[in-house]
Amino acid sequence: MNSIAASLLRLIQENWRKLLLGVASMVVFLFLWSLYAAWLKADWPFHGASGAAEYVPYPWEVLNAFYLSFWSHPVSGLYMGSHVYASLKRMVAGFVLAFVIAVPAGLLMGRMWKAEAVAKPVVELFRPIPPLAWIPIFLVVFGVVIGPIGIVFLGIFFPVLLNVQFGARSVDSSLIDAARTLGARRLDIFAKVVLPFTVPYLMTGITVGLGIGWMCIVAAEMLGAVGGGVGYFIFTTAGNSQYPEMFAGMLMIGILSILTTGIAGLIERRLSKWMGMR
Amino acid sequence: MDRKIIIAIVIAAIVIVGIVAAAVLLNRDGKGGSVRYLAFAPKDMKAALATNQVDAYIAWEPYVSDSVVGHVGEVLIWTEDIMPNHPCCVVVVRNAFLSQPNGVELAQRFVKAHIEATDWMNAALADKTGANYTKLVDMAVGFTSRNATVVEAAFEHLQFRYEMGSSFDSALEKFTNMYIDLNMTTSSKLTDRGYASVDNFVEMYANETYLEAADSIAPSAIINSESPVHLGYLNGDLHQLAQVVAKNTEVTGTGKSLFETYGVKVADAVGVPFANGGAEMDGFAASTVDIGYLGAPPSIIKHLNAGTGTTIIAQANVEGSGLVVGVDSGIHDLHDLMNKTVAVPGPPAEQSIQFLLLKIELERNGLDFVVKT
Repeated sequence: MNSIAASLLRLIQENWRKLLLGVASMVVFLFLWSLYAAWLKADWPFHGASGAAEYVPYPWEVLNAFYLSFWSHPVSGLYMGSHVYASLKRMVAGFVLAFVIAVPAGLLMGRMWKAEAVAKPVVELFRPIPPLAWIPIFLVVFGVVIGPIGIVFLGIFFPVLLNVQFGARSVDSSLIDAARTLGARRLDIFAKVVLPFTVPYLMTGITVGLGIGWMCIVAAEMLGAVGGGVGYFIFTTAGNSQYPEMFAGMLMIGILSILTTGIAGLIERRLSKWMGMR
Repeated sequence: MDRKIIIAIVIAAIVIVGIVAAAVLLNRDGKGGSVRYLAFAPKDMKAALATNQVDAYIAWEPYVSDSVVGHVGEVLIWTEDIMPNHPCCVVVVRNAFLSQPNGVELAQRFVKAHIEATDWMNAALADKTGANYTKLVDMAVGFTSRNATVVEAAFEHLQFRYEMGSSFDSALEKFTNMYIDLNMTTSSKLTDRGYASVDNFVEMYANETYLEAADSIAPSAIINSESPVHLGYLNGDLHQLAQVVAKNTEVTGTGKSLFETYGVKVADAVGVPFANGGAEMDGFAASTVDIGYLGAPPSIIKHLNAGTGTTIIAQANVEGSGLVVGVDSGIHDLHDLMNKTVAVPGPPAEQSIQFLLLKIELERNGLDFVVKT
């Protein structure tokens, strides 16, 4: 326990400028938010309430709603923990599915012109379609369990695919030539040159994809969300005009996104170090 | 450096797992004796039932008759059997609109046209061989994008009615109390809006004076030619057919619509047709809708929770919703729905009258109604 405290203290000492700036920006943000809410509600020091007064709660009202959502204010009979659990299940399933399909597809598209020629028209056709448009179709075709996972999958799939493709295409030809000179076969080149070279690009794709995945979770849980979900929580509270609770749901999405992209970033750093790229 | 981040993430993960575990323990269990619900858009319910995504659904017309006529489903129970003459869609006015010049008079004239349209529809429905019946069906087909067979079947379980009265008030009181029990609004919200109690809220919020004043309204030239009343309504909702009839220029036989006959120029509000009542209430909050047709629940919830300044000035219909189960599903009564999944309109799943009525009926039968997990 002492070593953890010491580690945390050293971490703070090493990064105090960054931490200070981060805290300062958060304080300014909360102050401006409070000021705007006070202006809408005509609280001190403002006069004359706005029609949108109820739509923007104070930060402390949101924090209170956030706290209560875990213990005493269920939405659809479910506490926030259950909504988080339901969303995490969808995210993990959507991520695994996207990873398993996008990585080999991206590698093939990046290294084989025939694969790119076949896949590119389909990819470019479907890539710009917002996941929201797929919801009714996915629910009916894939069902209420797989359908929402499919929406998250779409959000993660394309960033991973395109980054892996770009990475695979960007492999320095001198590295491949060197490997060939040393007697490497095609499979060896793929496994020992192309694949490692692509890893940083893959990690960037994952980081971006996870962010988009969390954006998609709101759309994915709009309809037929078994067990609720944070997106469902947001939709329900917004529909009921329970705005502090709605913002609390948004805060939860932000926290989950920071956690998951943080883990991805950590893995990226460790992989880079392990591969001698840092 | 990385080790510390790992420690921080592990601590965060432990906290999340703890919270999830605590929440699972705190959540109501719904073990046995419960029917599960999921939120669906009514337009997708028929397909969801046909593909066995759900075992039943509850919705308003024409989404009920659509499945019945298409041999996808059959009606297990009509909402009229749960609560006879239960309210559904209403006419709502923006309070700030009433404060504008001619605002009150325009609302009264609007209500007069709504009454005339409702009476015309009821007369047309009473004579199925008449030309007006055919005209009404054509209008309904155009508005709902459903065929004539579906629309005619839907008319069988739907009553167009503008009067409010004591049964309307007591139903709204019951629904408001259910919202408080369901944690969708609070007693303090009532107090914040200046209401002493639920009874007092309904008494103030459902204002019958516009219906009473409409008696003395006579046809006149248009009094708001420069600034039309911005009308809100929902997408293809058959319950709101009165506004289609009141806008139609073939109903009166004079070449003028009923709205025009009673001196009101009406224009569709920005955003119509709205996808749901909540979106329409946001239109009221943004002052883009002056008078609109929508379900009573979103009107109540948004008025109490968001403080949207609106008032109910007439009913649009009563009844007209049903619980649909698959053909040959083996579901013959509500107990057969135990541990099965019912699609309800939403989200918010708990807001619709259909949800509330089904919850009432399930509880009468000793069954809980819990979200599907």
